[in-house]
Amino acid sequence: MTFYLNLALRLGIWFLLTADLSWANIIIGVSVVLFLPYASTSSASLRDWLSALWKILKAIPQAYIEAWEIMLRPHDQEVITMERVPPRRTPGLVFLDIFLITFTPKTIVLKYHERGWYEVHKIQRGEG
Amino acid sequence: MSDGLSNLCFALGMIFWFWGTWPLLGERTILFKLHGLSVADTLGSMSVVVGLLLRIPREWPLLVLAMISLAIWNTVLGYVLAYCSSSREGSDA
Amino acid sequence: MSWLLMAMVAALLIPIYTACRDDDTWQKMLAFASIATKTSMAILVVSVTRDDWMVGVVGVIILSVGNAALMLLAHIIKRVNES
Repeated sequence: MTFYLNLALRLGIWFLLTADLSWANIIIGVSVVLFLPYASTSSASLRDWLSALWKILKAIPQAYIEAWEIMLRPHDQEVITMERVPPRRTPGLVFLDIFLITFTPKTIVLKYHERGWYEVHKIQRGEG
Repeated sequence: MSDGLSNLCFALGMIFWFWGTWPLLGERTILFKLHGLSVADTLGSMSVVVGLLLRIPREWPLLVLAMISLAIWNTVLGYVLAYCSSSREGSDA
Repeated sequence: MSWLLMAMVAALLIPIYTACRDDDTWQKMLAFASIATKTSMAILVVSVTRDDWMVGVVGVIILSVGNAALMLLAHIIKRVNES
C-alpha cells in the first residue's frame, strides 16, 4: 500500500512542477515515476502513514502558535531531553517523526539513537 | 481585499524574518540560533509565499511546490546542522 | 511592494555580516543557510513585482534543490573534523 503512496507523492511533485495536465504529460510522468527505483524496505501500515500525515497538517498552526509564544515571552533556557520512539518504525516514518519535531520552533532533534530514542533540544522560559 | 490580506502576510513574514535573524548577531550557542532561524526561514518565508499566492493565484502549482520544498529543506537542514555541529564535542558518537 | 523588497535586503544584510565576522565554521554554515533561503525568496518577490514568471521558476528551482549542496557540505566538514 505504501507503494501507491510513494507513487502518488512522486506524481504530485511532477504535476506541481510542470503544471500541465495534458495526456502526453501524464504519460511521461507515469512512465518516469515507474522507471525510478523503488526502495522496497519493510513497509509500514497505511494507518501509520496516514496518521503521520495528519499530524503534519496539525503541526503547521502549532508551529505558528509556538513562534508567537517564543516571540512574546523570551525563552532563555536550553534543555536536552530524550524522547521515546514508538516501536517498529520504518526509516520513512522515523524521518517523518524527526521532521515533525524539528518543524516546530521550540524543539530540534539532535540525534536519533539506534536503540529507539530521539535526543531533543528544547528551549524553555526561564524562571526569572 | 486580497491585496490587504497579502500585505498582512508579507508584514508577518518580515516580522518573523527580523526577529529570527537577529540572534545571529549575539553570542549564543548554535542550537539556540537554530531555533530562531527555524522561525525566520521556515515560518516567515512560508507566510511570504502565502502572500504571493494571494497576489497571483494562477501560478499556484509552483508556489505550492515552493512552500513544500521550503518546509522540508529548512527543517532537514536544521536537523543536519544540529547533528553535525553537536557530534563534534559529543561523547558517545 | 517595494517596501517588501527593501525589508528583505535589510534582513539579508544580517546573515551576510555574520558570515564575514564569525570564525567558527558552524556559525558560518548557519549564516549561509539563512542567506540561501532569503535570496531565493527575494528572487520570487522580484519575479512577482516585475510580472516575469520565468524569473520565478528559477527561484523555485533554487529553493527546491539549492540546499542539498549545503547539506553535503555539512557532512563533509563533520568528517574532516572527526579525522
